[in-house]
Amino acid sequence: MADNQEPKNIQDGLERNIFALFLATALAVSIAGIVEIVPLFYLKSAVDYTEQTDKYGNVKNEKFPELVWERTFTEVDGKLVADKALYKQDNNGKWVVADWKAGDGVRPYTPLELAGRDIYLREGCYICHSQMIRPFRDERERYGHYSLATESMYDHPMQWGSKRTGPDMARVGGKYSDEWHVMHLMRPQDMVPESVMPAYPWLAENSIEKDFFGTDRDMQKRLSVMRTLGVPYTDEEIENANEAVKGHTEMDALVAYLQVLGTMVKLDDSKTYRE
Amino acid sequence: MDTTAKPQYDNGVVQYLTVGAVAFLVLGTFMGTFAAAQLAWPALNFDIAEITFARLRVMHTNTVIFAFGGMTLMATAFYTVQRTNGVKLWSNKMAWWTAILFTIGLLAVVVTISLGMTTGKEYHEQEWPLAIAIAIVWTLYTFNFVMTIASRNKETHPNVYVSNWFFLGMMIAITYLYVVNGLAIPVSLFRSYSMFAGVQDAMIQWWWGHNAVGFFLTAGFLAIMYYFVPKQAQRPIYSYRLSVIHFWALMFGYVWLGAHHLQYTALPDWTGSLGAVISLAMIIPSWGGALNGMLTLSGAWDRLRTDYILRFLIISLAFYAMSTFEGPVMASKTVNALSHYTDWTVGHVHSGALGWVAMVSIGAIYHMVMKLWNTEMYSMKLINFHFWLATIGTVFYIVAMWVSGIMQGLMWRAYDEYGTLAYTFAESVAAMHPYYAMRALGGLLFFSGAAIMLYNVVMTIRTANAKATSQAEAHA
Amino acid sequence: MAQHNPWPDEGNTGHIWDEDLRELDNPPPLWWMLSFYAGFIMIVFYSLYYPTIPLTDGTGEFTKGMAEWTQVEEYHDDYAVLKDWRKAKFADKEEKLAALSVDEIIKDDDLRSYAVATSKVLFGDYCAACHGAGGQGNPNFPVLADDDWLWGGKPAQIEASLVNGRIGNMPAKGMMGNLNEQEISDVADYVIALSEGKGDDAAYAAGKAVYTKGMCMACHGPAGKPLAPAGAANLTDQVWRFSSDRAEVINVITNGVNVKKDGQYIAGTKQAVMPSFKERLPNADVNIKRLTVYVHALGGGQ
Ligand code: HEC
Ligand code: HEC
Ligand code: HEC
Ligand code: HEM
Ligand code: HEM
Ligand SMILES: [Ca+2]
Ligand SMILES: [Ca+2]
Ligand SMILES: [Cu+2]
Repeated sequence: MADNQEPKNIQDGLERNIFALFLATALAVSIAGIVEIVPLFYLKSAVDYTEQTDKYGNVKNEKFPELVWERTFTEVDGKLVADKALYKQDNNGKWVVADWKAGDGVRPYTPLELAGRDIYLREGCYICHSQMIRPFRDERERYGHYSLATESMYDHPMQWGSKRTGPDMARVGGKYSDEWHVMHLMRPQDMVPESVMPAYPWLAENSIEKDFFGTDRDMQKRLSVMRTLGVPYTDEEIENANEAVKGHTEMDALVAYLQVLGTMVKLDDSKTYRE
Repeated sequence: MDTTAKPQYDNGVVQYLTVGAVAFLVLGTFMGTFAAAQLAWPALNFDIAEITFARLRVMHTNTVIFAFGGMTLMATAFYTVQRTNGVKLWSNKMAWWTAILFTIGLLAVVVTISLGMTTGKEYHEQEWPLAIAIAIVWTLYTFNFVMTIASRNKETHPNVYVSNWFFLGMMIAITYLYVVNGLAIPVSLFRSYSMFAGVQDAMIQWWWGHNAVGFFLTAGFLAIMYYFVPKQAQRPIYSYRLSVIHFWALMFGYVWLGAHHLQYTALPDWTGSLGAVISLAMIIPSWGGALNGMLTLSGAWDRLRTDYILRFLIISLAFYAMSTFEGPVMASKTVNALSHYTDWTVGHVHSGALGWVAMVSIGAIYHMVMKLWNTEMYSMKLINFHFWLATIGTVFYIVAMWVSGIMQGLMWRAYDEYGTLAYTFAESVAAMHPYYAMRALGGLLFFSGAAIMLYNVVMTIRTANAKATSQAEAHA
Repeated sequence: MAQHNPWPDEGNTGHIWDEDLRELDNPPPLWWMLSFYAGFIMIVFYSLYYPTIPLTDGTGEFTKGMAEWTQVEEYHDDYAVLKDWRKAKFADKEEKLAALSVDEIIKDDDLRSYAVATSKVLFGDYCAACHGAGGQGNPNFPVLADDDWLWGGKPAQIEASLVNGRIGNMPAKGMMGNLNEQEISDVADYVIALSEGKGDDAAYAAGKAVYTKGMCMACHGPAGKPLAPAGAANLTDQVWRFSSDRAEVINVITNGVNVKKDGQYIAGTKQAVMPSFKERLPNADVNIKRLTVYVHALGGGQ
């Protein structure tokens, strides 16, 4: 009676006990994640030696300080403030970037840019456009310097993409005018006859203040969740977030996002940022 | 124990899932064909937000992978687990709940994606309320499956059949990876922000993304293969030892491969190398499955001439072997440098998805329909016709994508006689047009086959039901 | 039933499921087993050769592998090969491009055709999206392939357009912003007539007066032809910067070009911004000159 014998070997034992098979399989599929993923959270080399400096998510880079826009956070009367402001209201009442200028290093997105990024996701631009320039000479010449890990450290989630039906977007900021982006998004084939990109005319009509089914797009909530996840915003920046997107369309927001891509860091071809 | 009496199984829920799978196959391939046509003729976007290419494409992947693939996996798992363990489902009721909730959940996924609700994570676009619901349904499915096996008679069924190992591995890995990759904080009912950012997010996303392929689309469908190929061929599995070795090699090995989707990105060098080398080493374990299936047929090759269902099963193994060779080649750094970001990846996807996943499912579904309704198919001729439409459609698709993908990759990196780039990006877009049109045609063929299948299945069921009622009346 | 084996001689494992499902006890094919083991050996060697193993020693490093290979080094090497090749073949020309002014380059036939030949993709990837693949222009973006220039078609002027970018400027409703609807309608008729060479017809006298009142000549010149290129359009030819459609002409005059209020564009104003390319292009110093020569050669260079 072959069946009632003791298991002949481990495999036979597992085949006879489904729960043992369950555990053994669970163990087998767990190992890779531990070896491949866990180190990415503690190895300094994973994010170009960028390191967190405080509990709010501020970081600095020990080898290439120019990669990161550094700020110091302090708590004053229970409010979190910074020595530099990310964005402010100008004399015309318009919300603009404040103490940061292009090339000063990676910084959190302004509320309008972050809202634009949500639109970028909603429309699925990442399906056709990558945001990850690889270290190849042709990509250098077509798109610019190869992308660094630091550049997407505040991107929840990242948008590196896996398909280039259209060109890479990692450094598209500043390549065209706002006007061009609007016209292109309204009807890509008017600008580039060969284009297979869809048109997005509704972006110009929809207010960015509204989200699905007419609900409010709560930018305060979004910035504060981002802070929970480690993107350093001050209290004031979170408080003003809804104000800062008032009166804008989805188109404005998306263009604001596109125009900041790749402009945060100024990279030098003679340096080796990645090892 | 009476060894001659045929055990009674819970068939209703399997019948439901089987028909559902066919319906989703038709829907999903229609979306794919439409999306393919949009790339060839962008006017087909019609300026309607809900069906612009990018949204439609994500609806397509969710419909074919999770709705069609998921329903096929549920139907076959519930079908085979009863038969290979000689028991009814542990809970038929729970199976029905699983099936119904899964249908509703997946329809909701397709609708919400069309509305623009997405996490922005490839292959995990479902926003948090649906992701949680799906994880729960999936757990019910797993639990019921495991408990059914546990409730078998250990006297008559001491050892668990190999199909069940693969189903089990698929269920465990999918639950685990799906949940980790889905960790996020909601900012509204319709939107959440991923817990992870940048490189960590990329690695976690592809750790899941690859294994949606490796477990959902491979291990699960190997389970199907291990039951339906020997059943349809009426031959024993060629090698038990091969099953054991390649099962454990797949369980352990596949999970490492995610990094091959991130070759040459900002991920540290070591991760990409590790992903590449283990991918290369995975050719042989993968071929273990294909080989075991094909060798099972040895001695029964002549049946291929008359058994159209067996043809689906065998050609699926050929495509499986091909795509698991192609994949590791594409994982190597040198080839990936060319193929990444191009249509070559899309061609590879569909040689796996159409050639392997869809074909093996179609074979299994035809087999199940006949058993579940205890009848012959309404038309065997139409199965043959379906076979040719599916095969020719698949070949059109992948040949078009090989040419366009390699051409795209070469155009992007080509230098002219002055050492400056030879082609603009727009020129590469224009050059894709004929291949995009050809792919759309291939898709149309494949879709037509699926539509014919749906017709054939519906007619089969109607005739079977009619026969059953008339017999019942005769008895009365 | 597992106890009863109806296929005793086929060499199965003795387990039978679902009436007839069984498995043979064959060994896997030899070639398969050998390749399987070879896979492990390959993993070992590959891991020693390439960087594969993260370290836990707190340095943030990983094993570098015997090949001492890194992605970025491969990139530098690859790029160096290309650069060396270019140098070997074209060093003299590239040096001249760097050293000479655009005027001088254009005078040197050989150098000019070299610059033009090496600009095609640069123009295609960076400029064509606005100015069209052959410089034929796009709605709202000027034609570069004609001899009608806003900012001037001399090499140095084209070069300046590329280096600094350009922002078109035209006030709304005339220089003082005081034209009314009737006046705008009249002056629109007048400028359309101008482009058809009928500006002096008596029928357009009213519009002609408005042209003076609105001080249009400050930019467009007394007779519709700018005296010096400073971004204003020539109104006497058939080439339209925007459109010859009367409603559009009225719109341009009513809302101007790049007119801002409180830091924001007013509704209806034409936006006309050409980005600056001095930071943007790879190897910008030489490539701007190259493109200048290319644009100059598109047909209308002066
Ligand atoms: C069907 C695929 C597809 C989708 C979806 C798509 N694009 Fe594109 N995109 C293209 C193609 C092809 C091009 C190149 C031709 C052109 O410029 O239109 C392009 C070009 C662009 C460019 C110009 C890039 C450059 O450097 O020249 C921008 C900016 C852009 N797309 C933004 C977007 C945004 C934002 C979205 C989402 C709202 C989007 N695209 C969706 C295919 C797509
Ligand atoms: C974002 C769109 C855009 C891009 C990209 C662009 N241009 Fe322009 N360009 C314009 C606009 C708008 C004007 C007209 C500015 C004005 O109205 O004064 C212009 C004007 C010019 C002019 C002056 C034309 C004249 O009549 O005086 C030249 C020369 C020119 N562009 C060349 C180029 C070249 C070369 C490139 C690529 C390196 C380029 N442009 C890229 C938008 C663009
Ligand atoms: C401060 C300078 C300035 C003044 C004053 C001015 N314009 Fe213009 N005008 C321009 C510029 C600059 C452009 C071209 C804008 C561009 O291409 O970016 C232009 C363009 C035009 C065009 C469009 C031409 C075409 O080809 O599409 C018309 C029509 C026109 N102007 C009419 C007028 C009239 C009528 C007045 C007076 C009521 C006037 N302009 C006053 C600077 C001026
Ligand atoms: C050992 C087997 C396999 C390996 C090593 C492998 C490897 C790869 C590689 C290297 C890529 C391209 C990644 C990139 O450059 O972006 C890829 C993409 C893909 N493969 Fe495979 N593959 C295998 C088998 C399969 C099978 C059987 C399927 C079945 C459907 C499949 C489905 C996919 C999908 C869907 C993608 C696209 C992912 C994306 O969206 O970018 N693969 N695979
Ligand atoms: C009629 C049959 C089908 C057609 C015409 C079709 C068409 C398409 C098209 C046009 C795309 C987008 C490619 C791009 O972005 O360039 C796509 C993507 C995809 N399809 Fe299909 N499809 C079909 C069937 C299937 C089936 C049956 C499956 C799975 C079982 C599948 C899985 C996928 C996946 C995973 C992707 C994403 C690939 C990637 O990200 O690289 N498709 N399909
Ligand atoms: Ca993809
Ligand atoms: Ca011109
Ligand atoms: Cu993969």
